[in-house]
Amino acid sequence: MFINRNTLAFKIISRVLIISIILGMVTISVYYFYTRNTIEEMTRNNAIFLAENTVNEIEEVVRPAAKLPENLAWMIEAGSLPKDSVLPFLTKLVRHNPTVYASAIAFEPYMFSPERKFFSPYAYRNNGKVDTTYLGGENYNYFLMDWYQIPKTLERPYWSEPYFDEGGGNVLMTTYSVPFYQRKNNKRQFAGIITIDISLDWLTDIVNDVEIYETGYAFLISSNGVYVTHPDHGNIMNETIFTRAKKLDKPKMREIGRDMIRGKSNLTSINLDSRGDVLVYHTRLESTEWALGVVYPHKEMYANLREFNWLIVIIGFIGLTLLTFFTFRIINNLTKPLTKFAKSARKIAGGNFNVALPQIKTNDEMQELHNSFEYMQKALADYIEHLKETTSAKEKIESELRIAKEIQMGMIPHIFPPFPSISELDLYAMLEPAKEVGGDLYDFFLIDDKHLCFAIGDVSGKGVPASLFMAVTRTLLRSLAPKQQSTKAITEALNKSLSVGNESSMFVTFFLAILDIETGEIRYTNAGHNPPLLLRGNGEISYFDITKDIPVGLFEDYTYSEMVMQVSPNDRIFMYTDGITEAENQQEELYGEKRLKQFLTANPSFEPSELVTGVEEDVKKHVDGNVQSDDLTMLCVIYYGR
Amino acid sequence: MINHRIELSTFTTLFSLRRNFLRASVVAVLLLLAGGAAAQKPTLTFVPQWLPQAQFAGYYVALDRGFYQEAGLSLQIRHPRADVSAMELLKKGEADIISSFLLDGIKERVFGEPLVNIGQLTQHSSLMIVTKKKRGITKLEDLNGKKLAIWSSGFDMLPKALLREKSIDVEFVPILNTINLFLVDGVDAMTVMFYNEYDQIINSGINKEELNTFFFNDYKGFDIPEDGLYCLKETYQNRKEDLQKFVEATLRGWEYARAHKDYTIDLVVAEMNKAHLPNNEVHQRWMLDKMLEQIKSGDKEVKKGRLLEEDYYRALNIIKRETEDARQMEFPSLNEFYKPLAK
Repeated sequence: MFINRNTLAFKIISRVLIISIILGMVTISVYYFYTRNTIEEMTRNNAIFLAENTVNEIEEVVRPAAKLPENLAWMIEAGSLPKDSVLPFLTKLVRHNPTVYASAIAFEPYMFSPERKFFSPYAYRNNGKVDTTYLGGENYNYFLMDWYQIPKTLERPYWSEPYFDEGGGNVLMTTYSVPFYQRKNNKRQFAGIITIDISLDWLTDIVNDVEIYETGYAFLISSNGVYVTHPDHGNIMNETIFTRAKKLDKPKMREIGRDMIRGKSNLTSINLDSRGDVLVYHTRLESTEWALGVVYPHKEMYANLREFNWLIVIIGFIGLTLLTFFTFRIINNLTKPLTKFAKSARKIAGGNFNVALPQIKTNDEMQELHNSFEYMQKALADYIEHLKETTSAKEKIESELRIAKEIQMGMIPHIFPPFPSISELDLYAMLEPAKEVGGDLYDFFLIDDKHLCFAIGDVSGKGVPASLFMAVTRTLLRSLAPKQQSTKAITEALNKSLSVGNESSMFVTFFLAILDIETGEIRYTNAGHNPPLLLRGNGEISYFDITKDIPVGLFEDYTYSEMVMQVSPNDRIFMYTDGITEAENQQEELYGEKRLKQFLTANPSFEPSELVTGVEEDVKKHVDGNVQSDDLTMLCVIYYGR
Repeated sequence: MINHRIELSTFTTLFSLRRNFLRASVVAVLLLLAGGAAAQKPTLTFVPQWLPQAQFAGYYVALDRGFYQEAGLSLQIRHPRADVSAMELLKKGEADIISSFLLDGIKERVFGEPLVNIGQLTQHSSLMIVTKKKRGITKLEDLNGKKLAIWSSGFDMLPKALLREKSIDVEFVPILNTINLFLVDGVDAMTVMFYNEYDQIINSGINKEELNTFFFNDYKGFDIPEDGLYCLKETYQNRKEDLQKFVEATLRGWEYARAHKDYTIDLVVAEMNKAHLPNNEVHQRWMLDKMLEQIKSGDKEVKKGRLLEEDYYRALNIIKRETEDARQMEFPSLNEFYKPLAK
């Protein structure tokens, strides 16, 4: 299955899978160790039971046999065994006790009789009957033999190390020796040793009969660590547990062996190369002081658990595979609409609002998403529809505004020079609206042959209302001016006409002047406009007086004043609106009157057209590309005189 | 139950010799009969001083590899039995060559047996006294008043001489051949061979850290060589050439054993199995290693197979000191006793 790592399904499954695997592992581990412990505990109990049981089985044979020499020792000490009946007694003892292979009573030198250094009657089995003889002689100095010397020295019974008896058909034997004592001269003194030889065949059988799984086994070692029984027969009597430990290089085995010969009971584990890890329990045979071990191979102890574990792992693996498969299917089914929604969204973004949405039959988050999509589709369509209408309306308005601007600009005289036939003066003007249509105005016209009327104004506000107001103002000016002789009268008439019904309270700052072409006398009225500059032909520069009159259009009965001044040839009058001085650059610095004055002063000989275009360039330089916020309007008149 | 020091190699008694001793004379007769077979090649019968074990590995190797045959010898190796020692076989003429401890060899000569040493195999003493640490014997002097197990069958001269020299009074407990009395704490200490009983003690579950040891070769004048080769004076005079070939081939066998230990151990184990002796590889390997060390000259200036003059007189001195009626005895000179045949 090809899996894209970026899909939701992959992300969910990979996380779920990791968590599932971790949970599974934890569960299996807990289960495994718990069960393992239980098995170990059971095996431990089993091992202890088995070992102790086997030991008891052995002891049941050994103890009664051991009683024989012990009782005999007591009989001799008590004097209840006459000297001449020793040999017949031994013969009977051997005959009647099948576990006893042979028996001897070995006396200390000259203890039995002053003539005999060696005296040791001996009864033994020989081809089904019991024969007798006497032990001892120069070639058989029994006083130095372990079976005699050790119990004598230790003053307690002694079980010999096991040995192979060649005479008895190469059977494994052990000898149990019990010291006996006699009273001589009122003193209890050591008199000799009573022995029984016991064949260990039955013992080997008991231990070999212990069955532990397939390859588990029991083994017996002597008090020197010699193998008495072992599944590997080559070890018996040849090896001790210690030589084997050395050969296999298993120091732990030596430790176990040491514990065993010291009579400790213990459960421990060790690795035997050939059998792997094994559990060993060992315990002591109290009578002979030998030790029995039972060996449980881990492999077999935990075989069921291991099989079961594999089963769990396989089931778990299959389960996880199925889980992955179905989760993948389910998530894919659930999220399939998402992909479709994504496609729809892309189409919608491309402008196709009517694209078909995926069909959702479930009543869940997908349904909600579907609804939202549907709503969005509809809302978008509506919005775009509305937008289209609005845009077309706006476009219409904009085109109308463009026409309005053209009309407005058409109203303003813009043919320069305007009066080529009049040599006494020249003028130049410009109006650069901030928006499509502006609220600034200028105008000039001849009232009669010798009177030039010129004006500049600034309507409050901007845009269409301002431009309409400006158009009205200009139209009124044109119609009123020829009828009146003074700027005051014109302004007042203008004011009256504009104020009446001026519900939007618009107003115009307005500067109006009439120049007598012949005399150079100028009469003017300034209705709230910033004072124009007078540039004298000799280079002097000065403002017109600051007006105290208010802009027109506010109070219909306001009385304006008229001023008179005389201009000389080459004097220039420079009029402007505040759009010039308040032009802002990006640092919000105003162009300012100071810079305007500087420019004008620096160019005393400029013609009106040069001055106006010069100032415009200077302002543009100042604003340096910043958005023009107000109309720029300038009007300059030069008087040459006659 | 055993009546001889039979199982140098193991820890257990081998046979119920209560009855075996009855049969011992029969065995001796059989040995006698076996000695009669003669081949075309000059025949030599060699009897090592004990039962098969790695102590005699070099002889088995030389025989198995055909070194004796290459030397033009037909060699038979016999082992002594319970009641007939190698020395007795030599005296009876049933053995042409035997191996024996130097002290035993000299002693026999002093007591009148006409034998000569024709080669000294080992150069050092393996004898040692071992004691369990829990007995609190940390120096030789601590043995004063303690029970020391010592073999009744010989090898007692050296310990006795050392203890006498050190004025240490111990109670000697004669034992036959096992380490059991020592293991069950029936004695405080025991004289053992480093190559043999010492390892048996270890192999019976006692750790070497639990033991204190006193090596005779650490005491000046007591590093007496052990295994040597002996024959009757008469044999030496008549068959000098054959004997020389035997000594050479034997030394060659030991050298081969040194270079092929695994093979040698297998051979020794096979030899022991043939004799129905309990055996295990671990102990035989230990014994072989120690024997090979003893054969090296060590700090002594002596050639392989040779007897150092000093060692001879040291041994002789010990015998003189330990023999009660030494004054009436004649002691052989080195030349009389030692007839070097090793090149």
